[in-house]
Amino acid sequence: MKEQVVCKTSDIQPGEMKEASFGRQGVLVCRTPDGEFYAFMNQCIHQGAPLDKGMICGATTDKSKPGSYDYCHEGEVIRCPWHGREFSIKNEGRMLANPSKKIPSFKVRVEDESVIVYK
Amino acid sequence: MPKYQIPIVDTDIHERVQYKDILEYLDEPYKHYITNCHWIQEKHMPYTQPAVAGVDRADAIVPDGRPAGSDLKFMQEQLLDDIGHEIGILTSALDPSPSSMHGWHEMAVALASAYNDWQIENWLEKDERLYGSVHIAAQDRDAAIKEIERVGSHPKMVQVLLPIDDIMWGDPFYHPIFEAAEKHNLMIGMHHNEPPVYYGKWPRYFIEWHTLIPTAHMKQITSMMFNGVFDKFPNLGLMMIEGGFTFIPHLMWKMDQQYRDLRHEVPWLKRKPSQIMKEQVRFTTQPAEELTKKEFMSLIEQMGTDEMLCFSTDYPHWDYDSPYRALPNLDAELKQKIFAENAKAFYPKLPKKRRANNERASSL
Repeated sequence: MKEQVVCKTSDIQPGEMKEASFGRQGVLVCRTPDGEFYAFMNQCIHQGAPLDKGMICGATTDKSKPGSYDYCHEGEVIRCPWHGREFSIKNEGRMLANPSKKIPSFKVRVEDESVIVYK
Repeated sequence: MPKYQIPIVDTDIHERVQYKDILEYLDEPYKHYITNCHWIQEKHMPYTQPAVAGVDRADAIVPDGRPAGSDLKFMQEQLLDDIGHEIGILTSALDPSPSSMHGWHEMAVALASAYNDWQIENWLEKDERLYGSVHIAAQDRDAAIKEIERVGSHPKMVQVLLPIDDIMWGDPFYHPIFEAAEKHNLMIGMHHNEPPVYYGKWPRYFIEWHTLIPTAHMKQITSMMFNGVFDKFPNLGLMMIEGGFTFIPHLMWKMDQQYRDLRHEVPWLKRKPSQIMKEQVRFTTQPAEELTKKEFMSLIEQMGTDEMLCFSTDYPHWDYDSPYRALPNLDAELKQKIFAENAKAFYPKLPKKRRANNERASSL
């Protein structure tokens, strides 16, 4: 399977995510608030939880100081439904707490109203 | 077909009651206090559990919106059938937690009985795989013993549950409870409720509290050990639930060294503390720290036995451990022990032989 239409652009609003199939592979299609689409393997790299059951949200950042939270990147972070591990959508699916680890990702392009996932 | 190829005895599954569900098992005036006066169990933690859906796995919320762990059918689908459990031991959501109540012990006693009846009728007698924990209000010791006498002989009750909170259970005042448990072939299961891990108070962040839970478990083992519970009740075992296991070698070495120096103070201890731990104390594995196989095997070697660890998922809580991914890939014999045999050897009331799949019924 080299490429596949996984959904319509109107199926996912900015700041939302959705499970889809890419061949036999379960993929997580995310749409960030700027309207861009991203696709990742729909399985947490930690213990295999289905990421689509988690949430797309923001995150407290490393600009936070003890006693004061800095929260941003709303709609650009995936949190696992089990252990709450956070992955940056716009930074290749890298784990916030350990950026050397990342969720495998797929390429995405939009043609007309179709969201196409490809390798 | 179940996915897992070896039998799993899951030693920590949290079924959850909603207060409205136990009303029918409560007498007046207690029912009134819940229905009309909105009683809920006292809670102390200043935080929520900062995962995606609080204390629960976000995908374990029942599809109709009820809280995770409150519906047997959904638990069967998502856990018992999907993984192919042979046995699951229910440990409740500790809400209510009668032994954690700081007053109104009559209410605590009534809640314990109601909870046990609800658990037996709605879980233990509905799924052959599920075994249960006897809830008691231990502050009212004599009522607690009566409750053990009342439901302890139920064939699917395998342990008496005590919360790790702010009572040190080794105190001789509670020994008659252990006597009653031993009489019914029940083990003691201890699970933290809201232990004040920070000098009787709360650390500023949940992550601090959660990191320090093993210290609360170590306190209880130490209390039970040096108050002589294990020598006084040689057939009693203690299952420490959800407190981790990497501290075990430290505690064994520390207690042995202290015992060599200070045995004079606790002459009722007839065996080395590490020996007592090997014989009478067990630990559920979740939440497992992420260890390599080499690290894990080194830990087992330091414990001096591979029979103390019993696999658990902690379903449906957020820090659930997957049987496929939580532990390193162990050799088959050790895997068999940790995932099933150690728990079967520990709980006298668990069936020892594996039931064939076609003998399993989803309900009795």
